[in-house]
Amino acid sequence: MGGNGSKTVMLYFGPQHPGVPGNVGYKVWVDGERVVDAELVPGFLHRGFEKMMEFRTWEMNVVMGYRFCVEDPDSLELGYAEAVDRIFKIDIPEKAKYVRMIQAEFGRIASHMFWVNFMAGVTGLRTVGFWAIAAREEILKWFGWVVGHRVYHSFSVPGGIRWDVPEGFKERTLEVTNKVEDIVKDIESALLKNRVFRARTQGIGILKADDAIKMGVTGPSLRAAGVPYDVRKVVPYENYDKVTFDVPTMTEADAYARSVVRFKEVYQSLRIIRQAVEEVRPGEPHRIKLPLAAPKGVGIARIEAARGEYFIHIVSNGGRQPYRVRLRSVSMPLMTTAVKHIIKNEEVTIADFPIIVKSLDPCSPDIDR
Amino acid sequence: MEMVWATLSKTVKYLFRKPYTRMVPKSEPPFKTENLRGRHILDLNKCTGCGMCKIVCPAFAIDLVPVEGDFPQNKPKRFPRIDLHKCTFCGLCVEYCPFSALVMTDTTGFELYTKDKDSTLVMPTELAKPPKPEGYRVTITKDRFLKQLPPPKPKKVESKKGKG
Repeated sequence: MGGNGSKTVMLYFGPQHPGVPGNVGYKVWVDGERVVDAELVPGFLHRGFEKMMEFRTWEMNVVMGYRFCVEDPDSLELGYAEAVDRIFKIDIPEKAKYVRMIQAEFGRIASHMFWVNFMAGVTGLRTVGFWAIAAREEILKWFGWVVGHRVYHSFSVPGGIRWDVPEGFKERTLEVTNKVEDIVKDIESALLKNRVFRARTQGIGILKADDAIKMGVTGPSLRAAGVPYDVRKVVPYENYDKVTFDVPTMTEADAYARSVVRFKEVYQSLRIIRQAVEEVRPGEPHRIKLPLAAPKGVGIARIEAARGEYFIHIVSNGGRQPYRVRLRSVSMPLMTTAVKHIIKNEEVTIADFPIIVKSLDPCSPDIDR
Repeated sequence: MEMVWATLSKTVKYLFRKPYTRMVPKSEPPFKTENLRGRHILDLNKCTGCGMCKIVCPAFAIDLVPVEGDFPQNKPKRFPRIDLHKCTFCGLCVEYCPFSALVMTDTTGFELYTKDKDSTLVMPTELAKPPKPEGYRVTITKDRFLKQLPPPKPKKVESKKGKG
Protein backbone atom coordinates (compact mmCIF):
# COMPACT_ATOMS: atom_id res chain seq x y z
CA MET A 1 0.00 0.00 0.00
CA GLY A 2 0.94 3.60 -0.46
CA GLY A 3 2.85 5.33 -3.19
CA ASN A 4 5.37 8.18 -3.56
CA GLY A 5 6.94 7.35 -0.22
CA SER A 6 3.87 8.50 1.69
CA LYS A 7 2.59 6.63 4.70
CA THR A 8 -0.81 5.01 4.51
CA VAL A 9 -2.87 4.18 7.55
CA MET A 10 -5.41 1.39 7.77
CA LEU A 11 -8.73 2.25 9.41
CA TYR A 12 -11.62 0.01 10.32
CA PHE A 13 -14.83 1.46 8.89
CA GLY A 14 -17.71 -0.40 10.47
CA PRO A 15 -19.47 -2.62 11.40
CA GLN A 16 -20.40 -0.14 14.15
CA HIS A 17 -20.60 2.92 11.97
CA PRO A 18 -23.64 4.84 10.72
CA GLY A 19 -22.13 5.19 7.25
CA VAL A 20 -21.84 1.46 6.67
CA PRO A 21 -24.73 -0.36 5.03
CA GLY A 22 -25.58 -2.86 7.74
CA ASN A 23 -23.57 -5.58 9.39
CA VAL A 24 -20.38 -5.38 7.38
CA GLY A 25 -17.13 -3.59 7.83
CA TYR A 26 -14.53 -2.10 5.53
CA LYS A 27 -10.80 -1.94 5.96
CA VAL A 28 -9.97 1.46 4.49
CA TRP A 29 -6.40 2.51 3.69
CA VAL A 30 -6.02 6.29 3.83
CA ASP A 31 -3.24 8.59 2.78
CA GLY A 32 -4.03 11.81 4.59
CA GLU A 33 -7.68 12.27 3.77
CA ARG A 34 -7.62 10.35 0.51
CA VAL A 35 -8.90 6.80 0.46
CA VAL A 36 -6.34 4.65 -1.34
CA ASP A 37 -7.91 1.23 -1.07
CA ALA A 38 -10.81 -0.50 0.62
CA GLU A 39 -11.43 -4.11 1.46
CA LEU A 40 -14.70 -5.63 2.55
CA VAL A 41 -14.85 -7.46 5.89
CA PRO A 42 -17.90 -9.73 5.64
CA GLY A 43 -19.03 -12.60 7.85
CA PHE A 44 -20.95 -10.91 10.64
CA LEU A 45 -24.22 -12.38 9.40
CA HIS A 46 -23.12 -15.68 7.98
CA ARG A 47 -25.54 -18.48 8.82
CA GLY A 48 -25.41 -20.65 5.72
CA PHE A 49 -28.96 -20.03 4.53
CA GLU A 50 -28.54 -21.94 1.27
CA LYS A 51 -27.41 -25.01 3.19
CA MET A 52 -30.18 -24.62 5.76
CA MET A 53 -32.74 -24.59 2.96
CA GLU A 54 -31.59 -28.04 1.86
CA PHE A 55 -32.76 -29.44 5.19
CA ARG A 56 -36.20 -27.85 5.18
CA THR A 57 -39.27 -28.77 3.21
CA TRP A 58 -40.76 -26.72 0.36
CA GLU A 59 -43.28 -24.92 2.54
CA MET A 60 -40.78 -24.27 5.35
CA ASN A 61 -38.35 -22.65 2.95
CA VAL A 62 -40.83 -19.85 2.27
CA VAL A 63 -39.91 -18.60 5.72
CA MET A 64 -36.18 -19.02 5.01
CA GLY A 65 -35.98 -17.71 1.45
CA TYR A 66 -36.50 -14.03 2.14
CA ARG A 67 -33.95 -13.69 4.90
CA PHE A 68 -31.18 -13.04 2.38
CA CYS A 69 -32.09 -9.36 2.37
CA VAL A 70 -33.84 -7.69 5.28
CA GLU A 71 -34.62 -4.45 3.49
CA ASP A 72 -36.22 -5.99 0.41
CA PRO A 73 -37.63 -9.40 1.41
CA ASP A 74 -40.66 -9.37 -0.90
CA SER A 75 -38.79 -9.77 -4.17
CA LEU A 76 -36.93 -12.76 -2.73
CA GLU A 77 -40.16 -14.26 -1.47
CA LEU A 78 -41.64 -13.90 -4.93
CA GLY A 79 -38.49 -15.38 -6.49
CA TYR A 80 -38.54 -18.49 -4.33
CA ALA A 81 -42.27 -19.01 -4.88
CA GLU A 82 -41.88 -18.58 -8.63
CA ALA A 83 -38.97 -21.03 -8.86
CA VAL A 84 -40.89 -23.68 -6.90
CA ASP A 85 -43.98 -23.10 -9.06
CA ARG A 86 -41.86 -24.00 -12.06
CA ILE A 87 -40.67 -27.23 -10.43
CA PHE A 88 -44.29 -28.20 -9.77
CA LYS A 89 -45.17 -27.05 -13.32
CA ILE A 90 -48.26 -25.14 -12.29
CA ASP A 91 -49.78 -21.91 -13.45
CA ILE A 92 -50.99 -19.95 -10.43
CA PRO A 93 -54.32 -18.04 -10.45
CA GLU A 94 -54.32 -14.58 -12.05
CA LYS A 95 -55.34 -12.94 -8.79
CA ALA A 96 -52.32 -14.37 -6.99
CA LYS A 97 -50.03 -13.05 -9.74
CA TYR A 98 -51.33 -9.51 -9.36
CA VAL A 99 -51.21 -9.57 -5.55
CA ARG A 100 -47.64 -10.87 -5.68
CA MET A 101 -46.76 -7.98 -7.99
CA ILE A 102 -48.35 -5.44 -5.65
CA GLN A 103 -46.44 -6.96 -2.73
CA ALA A 104 -43.13 -6.87 -4.60
CA GLU A 105 -43.64 -3.29 -5.76
CA PHE A 106 -44.56 -2.09 -2.28
CA GLY A 107 -41.46 -3.88 -1.06
CA ARG A 108 -39.39 -2.03 -3.63
CA ILE A 109 -40.77 1.35 -2.52
CA ALA A 110 -40.19 0.48 1.15
CA SER A 111 -36.62 -0.51 0.32
CA HIS A 112 -35.96 2.71 -1.62
CA MET A 113 -37.45 4.75 1.20
CA PHE A 114 -35.16 3.02 3.67
CA TRP A 115 -32.29 3.86 1.35
CA VAL A 116 -33.34 7.55 1.35
CA ASN A 117 -33.00 7.54 5.13
CA PHE A 118 -29.37 6.36 4.91
CA MET A 119 -28.47 8.45 1.87
CA ALA A 120 -29.87 11.58 3.49
CA GLY A 121 -28.04 10.63 6.67
CA VAL A 122 -24.61 10.36 5.06
CA THR A 123 -25.08 13.69 3.29
CA GLY A 124 -26.15 15.42 6.52
CA LEU A 125 -29.87 15.83 5.73
CA ARG A 126 -31.30 13.66 8.50
CA THR A 127 -34.64 15.52 8.56
CA VAL A 128 -35.50 14.33 5.07
CA GLY A 129 -34.63 10.79 6.10
CA PHE A 130 -37.30 10.84 8.78
CA TRP A 131 -39.98 11.70 6.22
CA ALA A 132 -38.86 8.70 4.20
CA ILE A 133 -39.33 6.51 7.26
CA ALA A 134 -42.88 7.91 7.54
CA ALA A 135 -43.56 6.91 3.92
CA ARG A 136 -42.16 3.45 4.62
CA GLU A 137 -44.32 3.22 7.73
CA GLU A 138 -47.47 3.74 5.63
CA ILE A 139 -46.42 0.74 3.53
CA LEU A 140 -45.58 -1.35 6.58
CA LYS A 141 -49.01 -0.58 8.03
CA TRP A 142 -50.54 -1.78 4.76
CA PHE A 143 -48.50 -4.98 5.03
CA GLY A 144 -49.67 -5.38 8.62
CA TRP A 145 -53.25 -5.10 7.45
CA VAL A 146 -53.01 -7.53 4.52
CA VAL A 147 -50.35 -9.96 5.67
CA GLY A 148 -50.26 -9.57 9.44
CA HIS A 149 -46.55 -8.87 9.79
CA ARG A 150 -44.65 -5.75 8.93
CA VAL A 151 -41.22 -6.76 7.64
CA TYR A 152 -41.10 -10.52 6.96
CA HIS A 153 -44.38 -11.36 5.30
CA SER A 154 -44.29 -15.02 4.10
CA PHE A 155 -47.30 -14.25 1.92
CA SER A 156 -46.21 -15.29 -1.58
CA VAL A 157 -46.06 -19.05 -1.25
CA PRO A 158 -45.64 -21.75 -3.93
CA GLY A 159 -49.06 -22.12 -5.53
CA GLY A 160 -50.27 -18.55 -5.08
CA ILE A 161 -50.78 -16.29 -2.11
CA ARG A 162 -51.32 -17.51 1.40
CA TRP A 163 -54.82 -16.19 2.04
CA ASP A 164 -57.35 -14.01 0.33
CA VAL A 165 -56.91 -10.25 0.52
CA PRO A 166 -59.16 -8.44 3.04
CA GLU A 167 -62.30 -6.53 2.14
CA GLY A 168 -61.78 -3.04 0.77
CA PHE A 169 -58.39 -4.05 -0.61
CA LYS A 170 -58.55 -1.81 -3.66
CA GLU A 171 -59.63 1.35 -1.82
CA ARG A 172 -57.08 0.99 0.97
CA THR A 173 -54.25 0.19 -1.46
CA LEU A 174 -55.01 3.23 -3.61
CA GLU A 175 -55.20 5.37 -0.49
CA VAL A 176 -51.74 4.18 0.60
CA THR A 177 -50.25 4.84 -2.85
CA ASN A 178 -51.61 8.41 -2.74
CA LYS A 179 -50.24 9.02 0.74
CA VAL A 180 -46.84 7.62 -0.21
CA GLU A 181 -46.73 9.64 -3.43
CA ASP A 182 -47.35 12.88 -1.52
CA ILE A 183 -44.47 12.22 0.87
CA VAL A 184 -42.16 11.02 -1.91
CA LYS A 185 -42.77 14.23 -3.89
CA ASP A 186 -41.80 16.29 -0.84
CA ILE A 187 -38.69 14.18 -0.25
CA GLU A 188 -37.69 14.38 -3.90
CA SER A 189 -37.82 18.17 -4.03
CA ALA A 190 -36.19 18.55 -0.62
CA LEU A 191 -33.36 16.12 -1.35
CA LEU A 192 -32.58 16.29 -5.05
CA LYS A 193 -32.94 20.08 -5.38
CA ASN A 194 -30.84 20.72 -2.28
CA ARG A 195 -27.53 22.16 -3.43
CA VAL A 196 -25.59 20.61 -0.58
CA PHE A 197 -26.81 17.18 -1.66
CA ARG A 198 -25.99 17.91 -5.30
CA ALA A 199 -22.52 19.15 -4.44
CA ARG A 200 -21.82 16.02 -2.41
CA THR A 201 -23.11 13.56 -5.01
CA GLN A 202 -22.68 15.00 -8.51
CA GLY A 203 -19.58 13.73 -10.26
CA ILE A 204 -18.79 11.35 -7.39
CA GLY A 205 -18.69 7.58 -7.64
CA ILE A 206 -18.84 7.32 -11.41
CA LEU A 207 -19.49 3.77 -12.62
CA LYS A 208 -19.65 3.72 -16.44
CA ALA A 209 -21.93 1.34 -18.30
CA ASP A 210 -19.29 -0.96 -19.80
CA ASP A 211 -17.44 -1.27 -16.47
CA ALA A 212 -20.70 -1.94 -14.64
CA ILE A 213 -21.67 -4.70 -17.08
CA LYS A 214 -18.22 -6.30 -16.80
CA MET A 215 -18.51 -6.34 -13.01
CA GLY A 216 -22.01 -7.79 -13.03
CA VAL A 217 -23.69 -4.71 -11.59
CA THR A 218 -27.46 -4.63 -12.19
CA GLY A 219 -30.44 -2.65 -11.01
CA PRO A 220 -30.58 1.12 -10.48
CA SER A 221 -26.78 1.40 -10.49
CA LEU A 222 -26.67 0.04 -14.05
CA ARG A 223 -29.68 2.04 -15.21
CA ALA A 224 -28.06 5.24 -13.90
CA ALA A 225 -25.29 4.56 -16.45
CA GLY A 226 -27.78 4.63 -19.30
CA VAL A 227 -28.47 0.92 -19.79
CA PRO A 228 -32.26 0.31 -19.79
CA TYR A 229 -31.91 -3.21 -18.39
CA ASP A 230 -34.81 -4.35 -16.24
CA VAL A 231 -35.73 -8.03 -15.82
CA ARG A 232 -39.38 -7.05 -15.58
CA LYS A 233 -39.13 -5.90 -19.21
CA VAL A 234 -36.47 -8.27 -20.55
CA VAL A 235 -37.90 -11.55 -19.21
CA PRO A 236 -41.32 -10.63 -17.80
CA TYR A 237 -42.44 -12.78 -14.88
CA GLU A 238 -45.85 -12.84 -13.17
CA ASN A 239 -47.98 -10.35 -15.11
CA TYR A 240 -45.43 -7.62 -15.67
CA ASP A 241 -46.02 -7.88 -19.42
CA LYS A 242 -49.67 -6.93 -18.90
CA VAL A 243 -49.02 -3.62 -17.14
CA THR A 244 -47.42 -0.52 -18.65
CA PHE A 245 -44.45 1.11 -17.02
CA ASP A 246 -41.20 2.79 -18.06
CA VAL A 247 -37.63 1.94 -17.18
CA PRO A 248 -36.08 5.21 -15.97
CA THR A 249 -32.45 5.77 -16.95
CA MET A 250 -29.82 8.48 -16.54
CA THR A 251 -26.52 8.92 -18.34
CA GLU A 252 -24.29 10.60 -15.73
CA ALA A 253 -23.58 7.32 -13.86
CA ASP A 254 -22.65 9.16 -10.66
CA ALA A 255 -24.14 9.01 -7.15
CA TYR A 256 -26.65 11.74 -8.04
CA ALA A 257 -27.87 9.87 -11.13
CA ARG A 258 -28.39 6.74 -9.06
CA SER A 259 -30.46 8.74 -6.57
CA VAL A 260 -32.62 10.23 -9.34
CA VAL A 261 -33.20 6.80 -10.90
CA ARG A 262 -34.40 5.42 -7.56
CA PHE A 263 -36.91 8.24 -7.12
CA LYS A 264 -38.20 7.77 -10.67
CA GLU A 265 -38.53 4.05 -9.99
CA VAL A 266 -40.76 4.71 -7.00
CA TYR A 267 -43.25 6.53 -9.25
CA GLN A 268 -43.16 3.65 -11.74
CA SER A 269 -43.81 1.17 -8.92
CA LEU A 270 -46.81 3.20 -7.79
CA ARG A 271 -48.02 3.15 -11.40
CA ILE A 272 -47.74 -0.64 -11.53
CA ILE A 273 -49.60 -1.01 -8.22
CA ARG A 274 -52.45 1.20 -9.44
CA GLN A 275 -52.86 -0.92 -12.56
CA ALA A 276 -52.51 -4.26 -10.76
CA VAL A 277 -55.00 -3.43 -8.02
CA GLU A 278 -57.76 -3.05 -10.63
CA GLU A 279 -57.30 -6.70 -11.58
CA VAL A 280 -57.66 -8.04 -8.03
CA ARG A 281 -61.34 -9.00 -7.80
CA PRO A 282 -62.96 -10.41 -4.68
CA GLY A 283 -64.12 -14.01 -4.75
CA GLU A 284 -61.62 -15.29 -7.31
CA PRO A 285 -59.35 -18.24 -6.41
CA HIS A 286 -56.00 -17.24 -4.96
CA ARG A 287 -54.08 -20.45 -4.32
CA ILE A 288 -53.52 -23.94 -5.65
CA LYS A 289 -52.91 -26.59 -3.04
CA LEU A 290 -49.65 -28.29 -3.87
CA PRO A 291 -48.73 -31.88 -3.06
CA LEU A 292 -46.19 -32.31 -0.28
CA ALA A 293 -43.53 -33.91 -2.48
CA ALA A 294 -42.18 -32.18 -5.56
CA PRO A 295 -41.40 -33.85 -8.89
CA LYS A 296 -37.83 -34.07 -10.18
CA GLY A 297 -36.76 -30.95 -11.98
CA VAL A 298 -35.08 -27.57 -11.98
CA GLY A 299 -36.74 -24.27 -11.11
CA ILE A 300 -35.22 -20.99 -12.17
CA ALA A 301 -36.51 -17.53 -11.38
CA ARG A 302 -35.06 -14.18 -12.39
CA ILE A 303 -36.35 -11.33 -10.31
CA GLU A 304 -35.81 -7.60 -10.53
CA ALA A 305 -35.43 -6.66 -6.88
CA ALA A 306 -34.89 -3.15 -5.52
CA ARG A 307 -31.12 -3.56 -5.86
CA GLY A 308 -30.87 -5.51 -9.09
CA GLU A 309 -31.32 -8.92 -10.56
CA TYR A 310 -31.65 -11.99 -8.37
CA PHE A 311 -31.21 -15.36 -9.99
CA ILE A 312 -32.75 -18.16 -7.95
CA HIS A 313 -31.89 -21.69 -8.99
CA ILE A 314 -33.50 -24.64 -7.22
CA VAL A 315 -32.79 -28.28 -8.04
CA SER A 316 -35.25 -30.95 -6.96
CA ASN A 317 -34.46 -34.65 -6.88
CA GLY A 318 -38.06 -35.36 -6.02
CA GLY A 319 -39.30 -35.58 -2.47
CA ARG A 320 -39.99 -33.15 0.33
CA GLN A 321 -36.83 -31.07 0.26
CA PRO A 322 -34.81 -29.24 -2.38
CA TYR A 323 -31.51 -30.82 -3.39
CA ARG A 324 -29.81 -27.47 -3.81
CA VAL A 325 -30.84 -23.81 -3.62
CA ARG A 326 -28.56 -21.24 -5.17
CA LEU A 327 -28.99 -17.51 -5.19
CA ARG A 328 -27.08 -15.04 -7.33
CA SER A 329 -26.31 -12.16 -5.02
CA VAL A 330 -26.93 -8.60 -6.17
CA SER A 331 -24.81 -6.86 -3.59
CA MET A 332 -21.53 -8.75 -3.96
CA PRO A 333 -20.26 -6.82 -7.04
CA LEU A 334 -21.57 -3.56 -5.59
CA MET A 335 -19.70 -3.93 -2.30
CA THR A 336 -16.45 -5.36 -3.57
CA THR A 337 -15.41 -4.69 -7.16
CA ALA A 338 -17.55 -1.60 -7.81
CA VAL A 339 -16.29 0.21 -4.70
CA LYS A 340 -12.67 -0.74 -5.49
CA HIS A 341 -13.09 0.36 -9.10
CA ILE A 342 -14.41 3.76 -8.05
CA ILE A 343 -11.61 4.28 -5.53
CA LYS A 344 -8.97 3.44 -8.16
CA ASN A 345 -10.43 5.84 -10.72
CA GLU A 346 -11.31 8.82 -8.57
CA GLU A 347 -9.91 10.88 -5.80
CA VAL A 348 -12.10 9.65 -2.98
CA THR A 349 -11.90 11.29 0.43
CA ILE A 350 -13.04 9.78 3.71
CA ALA A 351 -16.17 11.95 3.61
CA ASP A 352 -17.07 10.68 0.13
CA PHE A 353 -16.62 7.02 0.97
CA PRO A 354 -19.96 6.44 2.78
CA ILE A 355 -21.78 8.34 0.03
CA ILE A 356 -20.30 6.12 -2.67
CA VAL A 357 -21.08 2.91 -0.78
CA LYS A 358 -24.59 3.97 0.08
CA SER A 359 -25.40 5.34 -3.38
CA LEU A 360 -24.82 1.81 -4.73
CA ASP A 361 -27.29 0.61 -2.06
CA PRO A 362 -25.88 -2.82 -1.23
CA CYS A 363 -27.56 -5.10 1.27
CA SER A 364 -25.15 -6.73 3.69
CA PRO A 365 -26.98 -10.00 4.56
CA ASP A 366 -27.17 -10.64 0.85
CA ILE A 367 -23.39 -11.21 0.60
CA ASP A 368 -23.05 -13.31 3.75
CA ARG A 369 -26.02 -15.66 3.69
CA MET B 1 -29.66 30.02 2.89
CA GLU B 2 -30.20 29.94 -0.84
CA MET B 3 -28.38 26.64 -1.05
CA VAL B 4 -30.79 24.74 1.13
CA TRP B 5 -34.00 26.68 0.35
CA ALA B 6 -35.63 23.66 -1.32
CA THR B 7 -35.23 21.64 1.85
CA LEU B 8 -36.10 24.46 4.25
CA SER B 9 -39.41 25.25 2.57
CA LYS B 10 -40.54 21.64 2.94
CA THR B 11 -39.22 21.49 6.49
CA VAL B 12 -41.40 24.44 7.49
CA LYS B 13 -44.39 22.59 6.03
CA TYR B 14 -43.62 19.52 8.14
CA LEU B 15 -42.86 21.64 11.21
CA PHE B 16 -46.55 22.44 11.74
CA ARG B 17 -47.74 18.87 11.41
CA LYS B 18 -48.61 16.50 14.18
CA PRO B 19 -45.71 14.23 15.15
CA TYR B 20 -45.75 10.98 13.21
CA THR B 21 -44.25 8.93 16.02
CA ARG B 22 -46.70 7.13 18.27
CA MET B 23 -45.77 6.72 21.92
CA VAL B 24 -46.26 2.98 22.38
CA PRO B 25 -47.21 1.74 24.96
CA LYS B 26 -47.21 4.91 27.06
CA SER B 27 -50.11 6.74 25.46
CA GLU B 28 -51.21 4.53 22.56
CA PRO B 29 -51.66 0.78 22.10
CA PRO B 30 -49.56 -1.06 19.51
CA PHE B 31 -51.00 -1.70 16.05
CA LYS B 32 -53.21 -4.76 15.99
CA THR B 33 -54.66 -6.05 12.75
CA GLU B 34 -57.04 -8.83 11.80
CA ASN B 35 -54.19 -10.90 10.38
CA LEU B 36 -51.58 -10.41 13.10
CA ARG B 37 -49.78 -13.63 13.90
CA GLY B 38 -49.03 -13.82 17.59
CA ARG B 39 -48.87 -16.27 20.49
CA HIS B 40 -50.63 -19.60 19.86
CA ILE B 41 -53.48 -21.26 21.71
CA LEU B 42 -53.63 -25.07 21.75
CA ASP B 43 -56.89 -27.00 22.02
CA LEU B 44 -56.01 -30.03 24.17
CA ASN B 45 -59.28 -31.72 23.21
CA LYS B 46 -58.51 -31.62 19.46
CA CYS B 47 -54.76 -32.34 19.34
CA THR B 48 -53.95 -35.96 18.55
CA GLY B 49 -50.20 -35.62 19.00
CA CYS B 50 -49.50 -36.39 15.35
CA GLY B 51 -46.51 -34.05 15.33
CA MET B 52 -47.27 -32.27 12.06
CA CYS B 53 -46.61 -28.89 13.70
CA LYS B 54 -43.19 -30.16 14.77
CA ILE B 55 -42.40 -31.35 11.24
CA VAL B 56 -43.28 -28.09 9.46
CA CYS B 57 -41.77 -25.66 11.96
CA PRO B 58 -38.90 -23.93 10.11
CA ALA B 59 -37.29 -22.72 13.32
CA PHE B 60 -37.53 -26.13 15.02
CA ALA B 61 -39.29 -24.41 17.90
CA ILE B 62 -41.84 -27.16 18.58
CA ASP B 63 -41.30 -30.31 20.66
CA LEU B 64 -43.79 -32.96 21.70
CA VAL B 65 -43.90 -33.47 25.47
CA PRO B 66 -46.05 -35.78 27.63
CA VAL B 67 -48.99 -34.34 29.56
CA GLU B 68 -50.88 -35.99 32.41
CA GLY B 69 -54.65 -36.26 32.02
CA ASP B 70 -57.45 -37.98 30.19
CA PHE B 71 -57.35 -37.37 26.43
CA PRO B 72 -59.24 -40.04 24.45
CA GLN B 73 -58.17 -38.64 21.05
CA ASN B 74 -54.50 -38.47 22.05
CA LYS B 75 -53.42 -41.97 23.20
CA PRO B 76 -49.69 -41.27 23.68
CA LYS B 77 -50.63 -38.09 25.59
CA ARG B 78 -48.00 -36.03 23.79
CA PHE B 79 -48.67 -32.39 22.99
CA PRO B 80 -46.65 -29.60 21.34
CA ARG B 81 -44.49 -27.35 23.48
CA ILE B 82 -43.51 -24.14 21.71
CA ASP B 83 -40.30 -22.24 22.36
CA LEU B 84 -41.35 -18.62 21.82
CA HIS B 85 -37.68 -17.66 21.90
CA LYS B 86 -37.18 -19.50 18.60
CA CYS B 87 -40.64 -19.02 17.08
CA THR B 88 -40.81 -16.71 14.04
CA PHE B 89 -44.63 -16.56 14.11
CA CYS B 90 -44.86 -17.69 10.50
CA GLY B 91 -48.10 -19.61 11.16
CA LEU B 92 -47.12 -22.81 9.34
CA CYS B 93 -48.08 -24.93 12.39
CA VAL B 94 -51.60 -23.52 12.20
CA GLU B 95 -51.75 -23.98 8.43
CA TYR B 96 -50.63 -27.63 8.44
CA CYS B 97 -52.37 -28.87 11.63
CA PRO B 98 -54.75 -31.57 10.34
CA PHE B 99 -57.14 -31.22 13.29
CA SER B 100 -57.31 -27.40 13.66
CA ALA B 101 -55.93 -27.69 17.19
CA LEU B 102 -53.69 -24.64 17.00
CA VAL B 103 -54.83 -21.04 16.50
CA MET B 104 -52.94 -17.76 16.71
CA THR B 105 -53.87 -14.64 18.66
CA ASP B 106 -52.87 -11.01 18.30
CA THR B 107 -50.73 -11.09 21.47
CA THR B 108 -47.18 -10.43 20.36
CA GLY B 109 -44.14 -8.22 20.77
CA PHE B 110 -43.55 -6.69 24.17
CA GLU B 111 -46.65 -8.41 25.57
CA LEU B 112 -44.67 -11.65 25.52
CA TYR B 113 -41.78 -10.03 27.36
CA THR B 114 -40.18 -12.14 30.04
CA LYS B 115 -37.18 -11.75 32.30
CA ASP B 116 -36.59 -15.45 32.66
CA LYS B 117 -35.13 -17.25 29.65
CA ASP B 118 -36.58 -20.60 30.72
CA SER B 119 -40.13 -19.23 30.68
CA THR B 120 -40.01 -18.82 26.88
CA LEU B 121 -40.68 -22.55 26.68
CA VAL B 122 -44.48 -22.67 26.80
CA MET B 123 -45.70 -26.02 28.08
CA PRO B 124 -48.87 -27.52 26.50
CA THR B 125 -50.95 -26.89 29.62
CA GLU B 126 -50.00 -23.19 29.53
CA LEU B 127 -50.45 -23.11 25.78
CA ALA B 128 -54.04 -24.23 26.22
CA LYS B 129 -54.79 -21.12 28.27
CA PRO B 130 -55.32 -17.74 26.59
CA PRO B 131 -52.22 -15.50 26.50
CA LYS B 132 -53.80 -13.02 28.90
CA PRO B 133 -57.12 -12.92 30.77
CA GLU B 134 -58.76 -10.43 28.42
CA GLY B 135 -58.06 -8.03 25.58
CA TYR B 136 -56.85 -10.58 23.07
CA ARG B 137 -58.39 -11.80 19.82
CA VAL B 138 -58.01 -15.03 17.85
CA THR B 139 -56.67 -14.01 14.45
CA ILE B 140 -55.32 -16.90 12.39
CA THR B 141 -57.22 -20.17 12.28
CA LYS B 142 -57.13 -23.21 10.01
CA ASP B 143 -60.30 -22.02 8.17
CA ARG B 144 -58.28 -19.33 6.47
CA PHE B 145 -56.24 -21.90 4.56
CA LEU B 146 -59.03 -24.21 3.49
CA LYS B 147 -60.24 -22.30 0.43
CA GLN B 148 -57.72 -23.67 -2.01
CA LEU B 149 -57.98 -25.13 -5.48
CA PRO B 150 -56.96 -28.76 -5.99
CA PRO B 151 -53.66 -29.20 -7.84
CA PRO B 152 -53.96 -29.57 -11.62
CA LYS B 153 -53.15 -32.97 -13.07
CA PRO B 154 -49.60 -32.94 -14.43
CA LYS B 155 -50.65 -34.52 -17.74
CA LYS B 156 -52.82 -31.53 -18.58
CA VAL B 157 -49.95 -29.07 -18.15
CA GLU B 158 -47.64 -31.14 -20.35
CA SER B 159 -50.18 -31.41 -23.16
CA LYS B 160 -50.67 -27.64 -23.08
CA LYS B 161 -46.94 -27.10 -23.31
CA GLY B 162 -46.64 -29.51 -26.20
CA LYS B 163 -49.24 -27.61 -28.20
CA GLY B 164 -47.59 -24.25 -27.58
